[in-house]
Amino acid sequence: MNCEVCQLKELEVEHIEVREVLRCILHTILFHRALGLVRPKDVDLELFDITYVQCGDVEHEKKINEKIDHFIDRVEKHPNKKNQICLSFYEVKNKQATWFTNKVERHYWEQWYINLNTVQHPKTHSGKSHHSKVVVDPGETASEERNARRTALESSLREVLFQIIKFVNEKKDHVPPIPNLDGVSFPYEITISSSSDSAFGMDMLKRMLQTGHPTMLS
Amino acid sequence: MASNHGNTNSEPATNEQIITEFFAKSLHIILESRCPYVSSRNYSGEQVLSSPSSSSSSSSSFWPRDKWFNLALKDCSAALENIDFWRQSYLEPMVVDVVLVQRTSNWDPLNCSPKRALVRNLSSKERYYWNSENDEYRNEVMSEKIIERWVVEYESKKCSNIGGGGGGSGTGSKRWSSTSWHTLYKKSTLLLRSLYVTVRLLPAYKLFRDLISSAQIGMYNLGHRVSSFVEPFTRTEEAEMQRFVFTPVDTACGRLCLSVLYRSSISDVSSEPSTPMSPQFIPDYVGSPMADPLKTFPSGPLPQGSPSFSHLGRRHSWSYDLYKASPPSGIPSPSPSYSESHATFAKPHSYRLPPTGVTRHLPDETPQEHVKNTNYDEYSPSPNFSMSPSPSPPTYTPGIHISNALKRSESAPVSIPAIRASGIPPLFYNQMLPPSPPLRPSKSSLAKMDCRSTLLQAGSTVDKIFPFGKDEAGRLTGVKISSNSSPQKSISRSSSRLSFPDDYDESEFSGPFVVDEDDMTDPGSRPGSFDPVGNPCGQNDHVGVSAVKKSQDAAVGALVCMLKKAPPLQQDLQNSANLLHGSRPEILKSTTMDPNQISGQPVMQQSAAMSSAASLLAPKTTADALEELRGYAVMKNSLLKQGGDHKHT
Repeated sequence: MNCEVCQLKELEVEHIEVREVLRCILHTILFHRALGLVRPKDVDLELFDITYVQCGDVEHEKKINEKIDHFIDRVEKHPNKKNQICLSFYEVKNKQATWFTNKVERHYWEQWYINLNTVQHPKTHSGKSHHSKVVVDPGETASEERNARRTALESSLREVLFQIIKFVNEKKDHVPPIPNLDGVSFPYEITISSSSDSAFGMDMLKRMLQTGHPTMLS
Repeated sequence: MASNHGNTNSEPATNEQIITEFFAKSLHIILESRCPYVSSRNYSGEQVLSSPSSSSSSSSSFWPRDKWFNLALKDCSAALENIDFWRQSYLEPMVVDVVLVQRTSNWDPLNCSPKRALVRNLSSKERYYWNSENDEYRNEVMSEKIIERWVVEYESKKCSNIGGGGGGSGTGSKRWSSTSWHTLYKKSTLLLRSLYVTVRLLPAYKLFRDLISSAQIGMYNLGHRVSSFVEPFTRTEEAEMQRFVFTPVDTACGRLCLSVLYRSSISDVSSEPSTPMSPQFIPDYVGSPMADPLKTFPSGPLPQGSPSFSHLGRRHSWSYDLYKASPPSGIPSPSPSYSESHATFAKPHSYRLPPTGVTRHLPDETPQEHVKNTNYDEYSPSPNFSMSPSPSPPTYTPGIHISNALKRSESAPVSIPAIRASGIPPLFYNQMLPPSPPLRPSKSSLAKMDCRSTLLQAGSTVDKIFPFGKDEAGRLTGVKISSNSSPQKSISRSSSRLSFPDDYDESEFSGPFVVDEDDMTDPGSRPGSFDPVGNPCGQNDHVGVSAVKKSQDAAVGALVCMLKKAPPLQQDLQNSANLLHGSRPEILKSTTMDPNQISGQPVMQQSAAMSSAASLLAPKTTADALEELRGYAVMKNSLLKQGGDHKHT
């Protein structure tokens, strides 16, 4: 059994953009893996002119938000570090083994790596994410720069979303059959790591051993 | 659906069903996010249906068809109506064209004002104001551009045991068939998820969203065609488009293909020459529950260029004010931004001579602000300044405006757009001519105008004169966006029938608009909706404003460009002076000064200034006319006398 891996293009984000960017990406992936009956929910990003789709499941949303909070905590502790979020989908081979999460019973069949490079910018804003697109700064040049940068990030984010779509399109065989689905989505977990985090490397190694050789994608 | 079809006979049937449903679902997904009428209607309905559900608990709130591919969609009547054909035969490709309908920059006098009137009648104050800008484009011809072409296709091949969907191919027919439809179903489900996300990432979705948020009311609309054949693009067209091909899903006997050709930059499409930065216009928007009020209007198909239009045009010069007075009645309350912009824009009015209609209606019916707005509108659109070759100092511009205003005041505003159109029939033209003598000069001068450049310049000139124009623009933009008022939706409802592909050929497509115009042509029945065609000037200002919509910086840039390109104005000054029958350089000069002096002053004072200017100028022209008439009378009398003399002798 293969574990397909998708490395998403790295994005350079400001602190206040982290939440939206992550939400957008995580939900888009999850929507493609929520093959149960869903009523999709369109969500407009506040900082970018992008609409993404949630699968409309409250539990998933909550889980994702928690993970994003963790991630942001981490970013605050280790600023200017490349951080990675990994969204892994797995199947549980033996339900009785679910208590021991690292056991072989979890079969990972797909992993998505979201790469964020969090950059520090002159503090014109508080860390809140609820800024409207039309932020008017007293410093004209600063806001111009910010706008230009944000436009660039928006198109990069769009690229990432298309990268997700393409991946989903090209790789369908490894997705478990829908009847195996228990709930809206296949089970998944979200893990966070920094580039220098050795524990993460170990974790990856373990996982590889458990699930066979991941097929590396572009 | 969920039952497992073990036997080989039902296998093809299941596959067929999946394929058929795939067609239906694809169409549904596409139209749901491209057909404004459908979605806005359902946004409200949706909430009833959707209960926050975790997992599968809430299946009771889902329609049976939602269970197909486990994707619950909003209601989309357009999709349901169009899918029948492919339910019969999925072997035909399904081509869904998403069409952007907007104005081109060709003037079409016959299309002029009535629709605008319609929009205004429905709108709230700020919407009205915003619309008045768009209305300028109603003089233009609608154009359609395909911005997306979706192709859903089932490529069948000879049935064999090979290729029954990805993983489990070729292990004996029985095993193959049991995995087959599951695989097909799973893969098509995945494909549809991708489609659902993709549809929202393509540029056309932004247009759609703007439409349903009513921010773009009247600027453009999205339509669609669903057909089974491809009308190929030209090479240039195709070169402008990008293709996204979804990975086909293999079935036992063929494969399901889905692809889209789309314009990567809709702004290219939407910003035609006269509409610098924003997608312009369209006539039929489709819409919302609010549409109903519109339906109450009497409507019937009206051939373009119906005589009633010219009648309308003529009435304009005075019915104008009637209209202006009425908006408040249909409108809850003026928003702050609206009135603000109003006041500033109104300033120019002080220089112009009020039309006779104004003086008539103003005291009792029309609030001062409205009157001024009217005046301003009349004044700004004047085509004259675009043509003048000689460079003119900025200070003169106001004077020029004044002269235009003067001419305008005498002539029916409607005549301007009509004149601009080169192809206008003389008869029509004559009908629009105002009775008073001073008009003739204006007619001739107007005739040579290049209307499009005029538009831009008018807008830019205004900004030049009034530095606060930019801010205004920003505010207006805000107004436009924030106002979620119903009018747009209602209108779209009426025109929604356009979007049904069967009906969708060009002639039919334009039909509803014509109908709307017809509705509007009876000013008596709906005075509020009756809108001066002469108004274009106000709209011109808004051209600049609309351009600003996306970003103020960009807008400023655009304005600067326009200003740079603007032809000199001085000649117009001369013309206008002539037009006024030597009505006096002194007057012009004094009026020229006004903008600067007045700019900071309250609206009331401006109106006073305006009326004084009017009093100075108006008597002159009418006096001239009288003079002329008297001259003719004298001549006639003398001729009669002579005739009598001859007879007697």
